[in-house]
Amino acid sequence: MRTGLLKTLLVASTAFVALSGVAHAQGIRENYAPVTPEMLANPPAEEWLMFRGAYNNQGFSPLDMINKDTVGGLQLAWAWPMAEAGIQETAPLVHDGVMFLQTNNNIVEALDAKTGDLIWQYRHVLPELPASWSYQANQARRQKNSIALYEDKVILTTVDAKIVVLNAADGKVAWEKQVVDSNLGYSYTVGPLIADGKIISAISGCSIAGTAGGCFIFAHDVNTGDELWRFNTIDDPNNPAQEASWGGVPVENRWGGTPWTTGSYDPETNTTFWGIGMPGPYSELIRGSGDGTVLYTNSTLALDVGTGKLKWYYQHLPRDNWDLDSPFERILVDQEVDGQMHKMLVSVPGKNGIAFGLDRDTGKYLWSKETIVQNVVTGIDPDGTVHIDEGLISKAVGEEHLVCASVSGGKLWQAGAYSPQTNAYFVPLTEACNTVSPTQSEFTAGNAVGSVKFGPRVLPEGITDAGLMQALDINPTQAESKWQFRSRPSMTSSVLATGGGLVFGGDAARQITAWDQETGDVVWSQRLNAPIGGYPMTYAIDGEQYLVVPTGYSNAASSISSAFPEIPLPTGSGNSIFVYKLPKASN
Amino acid sequence: MFRSSLVGLALLFSSAVSAQTSGIPPEELNNTRRLAGDTINVCFDRTSLGRPFDEDVARAVADALFLQINVVEGFGGFPLNGDGFLDELNLAMTNTCDMFMGVAVSSNSPFSDAFALTRPYATIPFVIAVADPTWQRLGDIPKDRRLGTAMASLGELSFITWSQQQPEAERWVRYPYADYNKMATRVLDNTIAAMVLWQPVLARLKAERPDAAALRVISNDPVPAASVSVGALVSSRNAFLRSQVDQAIDALAADGTIDTLLEKHGYQGAAGE
Repeated sequence: MRTGLLKTLLVASTAFVALSGVAHAQGIRENYAPVTPEMLANPPAEEWLMFRGAYNNQGFSPLDMINKDTVGGLQLAWAWPMAEAGIQETAPLVHDGVMFLQTNNNIVEALDAKTGDLIWQYRHVLPELPASWSYQANQARRQKNSIALYEDKVILTTVDAKIVVLNAADGKVAWEKQVVDSNLGYSYTVGPLIADGKIISAISGCSIAGTAGGCFIFAHDVNTGDELWRFNTIDDPNNPAQEASWGGVPVENRWGGTPWTTGSYDPETNTTFWGIGMPGPYSELIRGSGDGTVLYTNSTLALDVGTGKLKWYYQHLPRDNWDLDSPFERILVDQEVDGQMHKMLVSVPGKNGIAFGLDRDTGKYLWSKETIVQNVVTGIDPDGTVHIDEGLISKAVGEEHLVCASVSGGKLWQAGAYSPQTNAYFVPLTEACNTVSPTQSEFTAGNAVGSVKFGPRVLPEGITDAGLMQALDINPTQAESKWQFRSRPSMTSSVLATGGGLVFGGDAARQITAWDQETGDVVWSQRLNAPIGGYPMTYAIDGEQYLVVPTGYSNAASSISSAFPEIPLPTGSGNSIFVYKLPKASN
Repeated sequence: MFRSSLVGLALLFSSAVSAQTSGIPPEELNNTRRLAGDTINVCFDRTSLGRPFDEDVARAVADALFLQINVVEGFGGFPLNGDGFLDELNLAMTNTCDMFMGVAVSSNSPFSDAFALTRPYATIPFVIAVADPTWQRLGDIPKDRRLGTAMASLGELSFITWSQQQPEAERWVRYPYADYNKMATRVLDNTIAAMVLWQPVLARLKAERPDAAALRVISNDPVPAASVSVGALVSSRNAFLRSQVDQAIDALAADGTIDTLLEKHGYQGAAGE
């Protein structure tokens, strides 16, 4: 609202005045070593160059100095408060001794990764924040979950739908590009992927009136910003099945299909893989699509990076009526079995927590595995056809159903990690249900918002633990539960797997935990200042391995905190990162 | 204590929102009491379709209470699912607004108990508009023609509810529209036969677009009529203000002031409920 907007404007104008209209840089990192395409394809073990560490989105680091034997000796090396209050979704990157942090309101900070000293800070200045951009203001309070590094640049996507390219050495703006019209409602909520000389990005805001008919994955030239291609996730004239799936609804009356988790990339086939979100409006009763499957919502898309053409798609949840989004991390896994190399895409793509394995060259369905309690998907055929409980589809406005998982997961943006050491996929989950009913509950009279009513998140019957860390044993033919760790508080952070045989993750009770990948035994845990958030990561400098743990305000914690009332949440956000390392002797 | 209740409020709101919503970090919520003398902050949804009428009513209410008003241009531009709306409303009502005008007053109200609705100051209907001069009622339109409805509106609710009660062959196919200008264009270019929209929107279209002169209202028959009662939101903590505003609305409805304002803006409907 106005005060919130005004605050943003004041921050922006203060920065402008204080820094005299030049770049918002306080220092310079001399002799910064460029991030080469070769490094992106094969990241050095001691660095963390992109969203999930590598193109495969595995969230795995081969570093092994911190391991089952040494983790107990971890000591705080330094900590850093984030620049602004907001939901904590940061994904820190490290290259050449510099940590790059993005915080909400598109602030980027460069820190000395060894000492925690600030090198520079960039504050994105919105030229003006009209009152009609409230959704963008709302989204700006999320810590956008990733930025990208390429050569001597830092590349970020912003709430006002821009790509902004900064000099990594000093934080000055090298160039920026207005990708789409943010006045229509478009807004970036996830960061880009740099592949094949292109910035691959995906836009959000696709449920706003003005963005009807278009939700896009883009490719821009990484040097010039020229748009090379765009793929519309809710309108594909090249695929009659996609057009038919909307039940005759014209393109200009379609919404949704937001790809709101950064995709993965297979350099060998020059293919990028993205997950797509729910359709809009949520209820088919209101969107008018009948029993259509509404492609490509809740699907995995494999796109040719050179051309932007669709190679294949697979729909994880057809005919979504419950906002059970399926945009989450797509992980690329190679496994050699009996002398044959299998190239898989594995994911828990949607809020309903079902794990899928696909052949990533063809999109062929390999297997699926349920994790948390869910009641929408009734079965999946051997050919991958997903069946849903049509009894949970409301046939009248106001008809209410109890749906598991809930609109906030189940699974949410918190990414799982895959360890090639143990062939295991570690997934942070929350057991939750809510009621869903289509409704026309206008907020302001005559206005078009509010087409589905969700009840509060509650635990499924018979379950007392909200949190579940699920380890899945993955192979080309199936996924089986390797171990489970259940906890009263919900899981609130993404997961990091390491070559030290550990997996790190955190919860609403402010506990960062290390589990033994093989057994699920807790081998280390510390309680910090706020719910654990964002994307824990690790790096090494001068032969010492560091562990980074983001903490702070968590919607994933607050939205189900009534399920564990004995664990009060802090009243402050406390958005921070905590950086641990081993004492010298342990290294 | 006050801080705790604010946090509680934030939790309450965040319990029923969808995934990309931020929630409100406690630092964003002011822990202060406004000292405004005889001035009240009156906020509006910038995208509200009855925005000019609502401001006139707010000024009339303030005059009746011997108050000054500070008009606050509010928020707007939310997704169709309302994602983020209640977050921003919570922030606005905590930090800025004494009164938030133009909200729908209904038994289906999505607002938290932290806010109280005033009594409605006007009740305004949804209408069916066509360009074809031969149709006098909705029932005259062939069933193979497509219709448009204002998405997520109470008019659409009434239409869908009626439609679900009919055999499939007796239903019109309808498409949801979030942009009333686009919906009007599709009626005028004959892509759709008719549109269901709030009457103030039709009044605005006629004021803004010369080609909208070709649009005219026909009878709803056989679909039941729908209307929205419009009121304001105040903090539940401010029962005194709500009581005063309710009394002012009663007086303005009784003395014809609100009817005059409806007429000024070309709105159909009636003062009060």
